[in-house]
Amino acid sequence: MLSSATTAPRAKNGDSERELLFHVRGLARAYGTGSSTVVALAGVDFDLYAGELIVLLGASGSGKSTLLNQLGGLDSPTEGSLVYRGANLDEFDEEALTRFRRDAVGFVFQSYNLIPSLTARENVALITEISRSPMTPEEALALVDLGNRLDHFPAQLSGGEQQRVAIARAIAKRPEVLLCDEPTGALDVRTGITVLEVIERINREIGTLAVIITHNAILAEMADRVFTLSDGRIVNVRVNQQRGSVRALAW
Amino acid sequence: MIQLDRKLWRDLVALKSQILAIALVMACGLAMMIMTRSLILSLENTRDTYYDEHRFGQVFARLKRAPERVREQLLAIPGVATVQTGIAIQVTLDLPGLPEPAVGLINSLPERGEQVLNRLYVRRGHLPFADAGGGQMAVGEAFAEAHGIQLGDTIGVVLNGVKKTFRFSGIALSPEYVFEAPPNAALPDSKTYGVFWMPYKELATAFQLYGAFNSVALSLAPGASERDVIAAVDRVLAPYGARGAFGRGDHPSHRRVDDEIRVLSGLSVVFPLVFLGVAAFMTNSVMSRQIALQREQIAMLKACGFSNAQVGLHYFKFSLVMVVLGTGAGVVGGVFLGAQLVEMYHHFFRFPSLRFMLDKWVVVAAAMVSAVAAFVGVAEAVRRAVRLAPAEAMRPEAPTSYQVSLVERWGLGRWLSPSLRMVLRNIQRRPVRSGLTCIALGLATAILVVPNSFRDGVAFVIDFQWDIIQRQTVTLSLAEPGPDRALADFRHMAGVVWAEPFRFVPVELRAGPISRRVGLQGLPAQGTLSRVIDAGVRQIYLPVRGMIISTKLAEILHVQVGEELVVRVLEGREREVSVPVVGLAEDFAGMAAYMERRALNQLLLEGDRISGAHIVVNKAHWAAFLAEVKSTPRLAGCTIKNSLRDGFRKTTAKSIGLLQKMYLGFAAVVAFGIVYNSARISLSERSRELATLRVLGFTRKEVSAVLVGELVVLTLAALPLGLLVGAGFSKLIISSVNTETVRLPLVLTSENYAFAVFVVVVASSASALFATRKIATLHLATALKALD
Repeated sequence: MLSSATTAPRAKNGDSERELLFHVRGLARAYGTGSSTVVALAGVDFDLYAGELIVLLGASGSGKSTLLNQLGGLDSPTEGSLVYRGANLDEFDEEALTRFRRDAVGFVFQSYNLIPSLTARENVALITEISRSPMTPEEALALVDLGNRLDHFPAQLSGGEQQRVAIARAIAKRPEVLLCDEPTGALDVRTGITVLEVIERINREIGTLAVIITHNAILAEMADRVFTLSDGRIVNVRVNQQRGSVRALAW
Repeated sequence: MIQLDRKLWRDLVALKSQILAIALVMACGLAMMIMTRSLILSLENTRDTYYDEHRFGQVFARLKRAPERVREQLLAIPGVATVQTGIAIQVTLDLPGLPEPAVGLINSLPERGEQVLNRLYVRRGHLPFADAGGGQMAVGEAFAEAHGIQLGDTIGVVLNGVKKTFRFSGIALSPEYVFEAPPNAALPDSKTYGVFWMPYKELATAFQLYGAFNSVALSLAPGASERDVIAAVDRVLAPYGARGAFGRGDHPSHRRVDDEIRVLSGLSVVFPLVFLGVAAFMTNSVMSRQIALQREQIAMLKACGFSNAQVGLHYFKFSLVMVVLGTGAGVVGGVFLGAQLVEMYHHFFRFPSLRFMLDKWVVVAAAMVSAVAAFVGVAEAVRRAVRLAPAEAMRPEAPTSYQVSLVERWGLGRWLSPSLRMVLRNIQRRPVRSGLTCIALGLATAILVVPNSFRDGVAFVIDFQWDIIQRQTVTLSLAEPGPDRALADFRHMAGVVWAEPFRFVPVELRAGPISRRVGLQGLPAQGTLSRVIDAGVRQIYLPVRGMIISTKLAEILHVQVGEELVVRVLEGREREVSVPVVGLAEDFAGMAAYMERRALNQLLLEGDRISGAHIVVNKAHWAAFLAEVKSTPRLAGCTIKNSLRDGFRKTTAKSIGLLQKMYLGFAAVVAFGIVYNSARISLSERSRELATLRVLGFTRKEVSAVLVGELVVLTLAALPLGLLVGAGFSKLIISSVNTETVRLPLVLTSENYAFAVFVVVVASSASALFATRKIATLHLATALKALD
């Protein structure tokens, strides 16, 4: 029923056909064994393309985070296949997974997860040092409008600023995939908008595939596609012909 | 409270490896304390019982010869309870199978009945019967063991120039020879020195001493003054060539046991305190972390109506568990190590039975001391838990704020990688904890330096004593001082390359109220064999006037070069002469005084007389030389340098080896425990940070480096500190063996330091590796979900 929306390559605004990044089939993840088994993902199918902005909606426990962790190589599936650029992530060993995260994936967390003992610039530099062709920390921080807070420690920054440092850290390596788990969850509306604008701009300017988890259904407007999850399944896929700007969302 | 105890139990299980590490460090300290105190108890108890049951004398005197009736005069001295007279004579032995001649001290057994004082304990067989027709001897246990002597075996003894064969009737021990070693020897040499007993009549007849005695022991009546009795004994015995009476305190055997007890007392305090201090610190860091992790739980407990006391008690129980575990392991360890040491003491001290006695009071004290250490460690953390207001505790702890580290402020930041900056800033953020970790690792390094400095000190003494001071092959002593033409006889013996004479006479040196009995040696002015060496390892040429004495002796007598000493001769004609001290000699065993030999002859108002000679023997004629020595009746002693050196080396190697193993184990436990606990605490505190790094694409190795980096920096800082403290400890402990009988120089070599560094680095690395295995188990996704 959903196959056309979740898998079909889709031309957007007359662009030529997009590059396929993720090819996901029958992806399932269960925790525990026997009678105490909890099914977090019950077999999902979808394809994700470069430059897309995807929003994952769903109640707590619907499987959003599990799905995101699978995409980021933090967890392995119990069933199904997760193919990234033709390579099956499930067959990656520890080292290959680390390399995948290091080169291809940027993470943004709800609770920022900055290293408290490093300044904004150093938090970004931490990643640029181990990446293949990163931007400079200053460039990355300028992209999130923090060019003037380079040498502040996390404890000296506001929540929104910390989250923007986290985004700068995530995008400095020019990742193909940006995974955001409730990036505005801990922020007030106004700061949240700023952060989302940054993510949206990165997606547009660098062509990064962005996947955003949120509770907030309003964010659906800014996506190319919106997946709604429930009980470990994708129950609805909405395709926006036109993405709304973040500021124009009905806050 | 049952549920709270259930929580305690589960928390303990979760913390088991850290609790175990603390308990082990605690156990090291307690084992040391229990071992040393129990050994002191064992030695003191065994010694006192032995002395009591076998009636060890309280005042002793040696003399040339006094008729038996003098015994009555001694008994008449006020304060004297009993008197035991007898004969003790040093003789040359010829043991089948032993190429070198050995020396024996033969003591007489009373003609009738048992000894009144210094009664023997017969281990096997029986004492020689006076009426069995002679030819029997009892042998001291140490010598018997060293030579595997069985009852019925025979030995050749040169008695007053006549070689006779004796059969061993029994193996015995005497309270007089608990430490069965030649006079002035630091360590026993049971291969070449032994103690024997034979019936009075047989011994006395051989030496034409029948009806006389040359050795006496006295016991005192209750309340009698030892000093007065000694003075009176000296007066009575003066006409009989007495060498001056002395009390138990100066008895060589008794003194060695005393010295050992003193060294043990020193060890029983310093090291246990070090270990317990480290354990207290470890307890504090683990419990602080535990309480920080359980903020919400504490808040919930309080919100639900648990009192501060209940919450406090709950956390105190953690330390109680460590104390119980630590004390248990400490008792087991202490008993085990103590038993090993008792085994070793058997080589030094001969008691009818020396068994390890656990000092029960010290176990109680140990439990209390470790409880105090653990409670001190945990008190601060518990205080914080108790003072936490429930509402405040429900909120996550305020985010930690960091600063740019000092190193970076000095402008070195540019060269530091972000990971190294994290390391430095983390260290600086918790200066106290970092400092204490550093100190604890330093202490682990320090305790490793001690046994090796002992070893190196002993090696130095061996080289100094037997390569620098003494360069002869053997020393031969005459039974009685003889004219110096005896030297020509020595030079004509088979294989003798060179011989230099010496004169040896027991004297009392006095400076004001302080006096000491020592042997005064007369040597050639520019001797090449037995030399007098100063602190700068230069030979001192003996001047014709004046005396050179040991630095230690000068220190005891409070004299300096240029001052005069009163010399009282304790052999032959008694006289007193003032002699200036003209130089100080360096030596490490006993105390000595030296004069030019002819000057000494003049002081003794005698002609050119010698007591023996130091001799260099051509190895090719060694057997022939020894055979000649054995058949020369005039000789009372033959000391072979190399066998003395080997014996010394073997005995010290054994005891130092045990000490080394012990300290090595202790240091490894501390280094391992400290690093393991620090790594685990860091891992717990920073699991989120480390998981983030993993998610961001850091490899496991890179994340481990961040975690371990802090410990590497602290270990590197601790090593030089530890070596410095180790040098201090060594100095402290070595100065505690700075006694009149034995001294050790402080020798600190780079090998010693390198070894300490090596062990600590290996133990820390192994421990860090062990702890960082946990990084593999970090569940990346969940670590990220957990909020601060």
